[in-house]
Amino acid sequence: MVTLDEIADTSLLQKPSDNQPDLFERSESNYKPLDSFTLPKDRQYQQQFADIYFLRLAKIKPAVEEVAITAWEGTVLGGETATKVDRVLDVRQGQLCWVAGTVYMDMPLKPSVLEDVSKDRWISAPITADRYYSESGGESIMLEDDSGRVRLVGKVLRDYFLVTGCIIAVMGTENANGEFEVIDLKFADLPPQPERWSLSKPSSSGTTKKSRVKDEDVEMADSQPSKKIAIVSGLEFSGTDTSYAMELNLLLEFLLGDALDLAAQSELAHISRLIIAGNSIAKPSDHESTFTTTTTTTTATAADSKKPQKKYGYDASSYNPLPSQLLDTFLSTLLPTIPITLLPGAFDPANASYPQQPIHPAMFPRARAYAPVPAGPAASAEPGWLDPVTNPWEGEVEGWRVLGTGGQNLDDMCKYVDSEDRLGMMEAMCRWRCSAPTAPDTLWSYPFQEDEPFVLKECPHLYFVGCQPTFGTKLIEGPQGQSVRLISVPSFAATKEIVLVDPETLDVSRVKISA
Amino acid sequence: MDTYKRFLAENVLTEDKVVTYRFLSRALQVHVNTAKQMLYEFHRSQNAKRPGAVHATYLVYGTKRAGTRSTDGDIDMSSSAPEVESLTEDVPTSTLSLVPEERLKEILTDYAEVTSIHVYSIGPHPAKDMALLADAAHHVLTLDTVADQKGLAPIINPNVRRRERQGAGLKAAAATTQVKSASKPAQAPASAKVKEESKPAQPVQETVDKGSSGPTKKAAPPLKRGASSGIMQAFSKAASKPAKVKKEAEAPQPAQASGKDSTMQPLSDDGEDDEELPQAKPRSSSGFRSRKEREEALRRMMDEDDDIDEDETPEKEDTPEEEPMEEEPAAPEPVKEEETEVVTASTNGRRRGKRRVMRKKQIMDDQGYLVTIQEPGWESFSEDEAPPPAKSKAMSSAAPAQAAKLKKGGAKGQGSIMSFFSKK
Repeated sequence: MVTLDEIADTSLLQKPSDNQPDLFERSESNYKPLDSFTLPKDRQYQQQFADIYFLRLAKIKPAVEEVAITAWEGTVLGGETATKVDRVLDVRQGQLCWVAGTVYMDMPLKPSVLEDVSKDRWISAPITADRYYSESGGESIMLEDDSGRVRLVGKVLRDYFLVTGCIIAVMGTENANGEFEVIDLKFADLPPQPERWSLSKPSSSGTTKKSRVKDEDVEMADSQPSKKIAIVSGLEFSGTDTSYAMELNLLLEFLLGDALDLAAQSELAHISRLIIAGNSIAKPSDHESTFTTTTTTTTATAADSKKPQKKYGYDASSYNPLPSQLLDTFLSTLLPTIPITLLPGAFDPANASYPQQPIHPAMFPRARAYAPVPAGPAASAEPGWLDPVTNPWEGEVEGWRVLGTGGQNLDDMCKYVDSEDRLGMMEAMCRWRCSAPTAPDTLWSYPFQEDEPFVLKECPHLYFVGCQPTFGTKLIEGPQGQSVRLISVPSFAATKEIVLVDPETLDVSRVKISA
Repeated sequence: MDTYKRFLAENVLTEDKVVTYRFLSRALQVHVNTAKQMLYEFHRSQNAKRPGAVHATYLVYGTKRAGTRSTDGDIDMSSSAPEVESLTEDVPTSTLSLVPEERLKEILTDYAEVTSIHVYSIGPHPAKDMALLADAAHHVLTLDTVADQKGLAPIINPNVRRRERQGAGLKAAAATTQVKSASKPAQAPASAKVKEESKPAQPVQETVDKGSSGPTKKAAPPLKRGASSGIMQAFSKAASKPAKVKKEAEAPQPAQASGKDSTMQPLSDDGEDDEELPQAKPRSSSGFRSRKEREEALRRMMDEDDDIDEDETPEKEDTPEEEPMEEEPAAPEPVKEEETEVVTASTNGRRRGKRRVMRKKQIMDDQGYLVTIQEPGWESFSEDEAPPPAKSKAMSSAAPAQAAKLKKGGAKGQGSIMSFFSKK
């Protein structure tokens, strides 16, 4: 409870004074992006997707089997010892055994390529189903590898999130129906976690400060900045919907440090980097498209009273450049004071399939000046001040390994399970060691041949997923002492919230903006 | 120090505007925090004179009391089940609210702690719709440039990196356009002169006439479009002059004299070019062509519709003269080997005829095998461009006629894809 009297004499509710106001220097951002998800320039789409599953299984299976061996080696159930079976096809009826493979979910509402082919649909529309999960049941869970496939049954399956593409090991027996009755289930769990500062070095100023703190300067210890990293997603700059335009403005002023008073500004100066996690541009609404068609119709009839000619191909008149202009203004206003990492999202002007490639800087005529120099003799190894990156994206920020996505991977997983526990699913992704298990089944993906980048080789310290309905955060821990900070970043347009992460402790706070 | 009062009185009281602290800061070049204080002071002093004269909005930042959900109708909690909330950690949440002064007290009661509060904007009316404020706030962004933000914003970043390449490229481009526009007037009138000179000496074909009158006709629109950019200026200057020259040339005067007059006029500020007039001819013809080319490039860029019209005229002219084409036996894969041409007609720069080619032919021989044999055959052709010897045919007329042809050929080849789909 705050009353007017209590705050009446704060510094900004006074006559203007002649004091020269302080200038704050923004903390330096220590940043090293990785190009784990960068696709080659000459992309081929001729390949089959099966290789992704094969590579994923090959990469994760040893880890799963290792976990399974320690858990199940020598397990005796009903006088029978569990044995390891190498291939799904080698499972014998009635034999207690365990086997590792890829989960495949067959669900009634799930889009199926076989169905498309049989119905002669050759153009795949974007997936529109809200859920693949059906209340009436009818889904079946299979375990497959390159040899074959077996159907999994058992109560224990309900205790875990399972989606197509995750690698698990199951122990049990095959029953008379040819189904595998699962008694226990294991997955790879968190991969090894790198040390902090394994790729980049703490900034020189940071180390000098620390050493000075050790030496004599006690004052420095107090003013040792607790840096922050700001993460926001779903800015959704729109050409038509202005209902949150004021909040976007306040966000801009907040990040710039123009708003608020000296004390708050000095705090805001420690936000060393802004990460925009997808959907910076709003989904074009249906209203917008009908609006443009009606206007073209009317102008055409007014002009020469003949039927609006259907132009072949792309009609430039239906393009609304306002959203990208607004985003460009937003970025170019912020960039002089803060470096920005920009991940594309589902609505952004980037390729639709995972991994999304960086938004081209040509989209931002003003902010482009801060973008990295395109490859060439002048290109430097330094990341751009405005760094358009891939989605998913991996990098090292303030020494911590960070993995972030624009949210499609999690949204797609949510369609498989009857739960809204998005943090739980994020945790499951980490424990499966796969950041996009449902690619390429229901999440569109590039047909990888040589590498499967969605497999987590190293455990991130911070894993954020953008464009989520609500905020959430959780700290999970692994068997070897790994700990991962999970953050589900809410969509700004819906919640008006941004997330601040303290890079020393990985503690999270959030700021809500209401206008 | 009181300039701000005058500024605010003008904008808020007289012009009914909403003024935000950022706008004030940009307008008066004062630090944002000072601007906030100015707004506060103006609001206080005005309302002391006459209560309700100006209305303020406040920006409040702090932590809200636990349990108070935002009361302004945010009901989007339906999608998330309550037990999900318990899975996430509770984290400190700060709230930044923009509050009209009428609701300030009420909103403040929701706060457990206010770390910062200041006047965000003042306006002549109570702020009901925050969207209006958004417009005012967005207006500031259009004013912003990096240069005038120095010293106004409280946070600076010494590490900021910009790409330098960009700026250098722009500068270079600007320089070249300047050079172009400077050199332009010198060449343009001279070339126009040559064209007019050649005109009377020549039994003028229809197309040539079109070609020569084309530039004057076509060069006019760029003038209308506004000579904002450097290259446009160059064209508008060039375009206005030939028109004048033409008039002069129509009077029965020695062409040389008229040329001299017209070149003297625009070049009077550019001394050396005037003296070299005798040499002007070879140079000018090249100038003519380059101007044509540039004009054509410009036209291709801008008047794609014109192209379509242009294209259609020669085609219509050509059709009646068309040869009855001899039907070749349909043979797979005609392969051109050596060209022995027979030109049957050459009209308006279009050559029609036949040439000898070797064709591959597949036949089935009596044993049922497919045999591929090469057979000499004739293939009819129709080409746009005149072959090199045709140039010498009419010396003086060649330049304009060919230029016209060139232009047409270029336009035809490079026309937009839309011309393919339209009208035919």
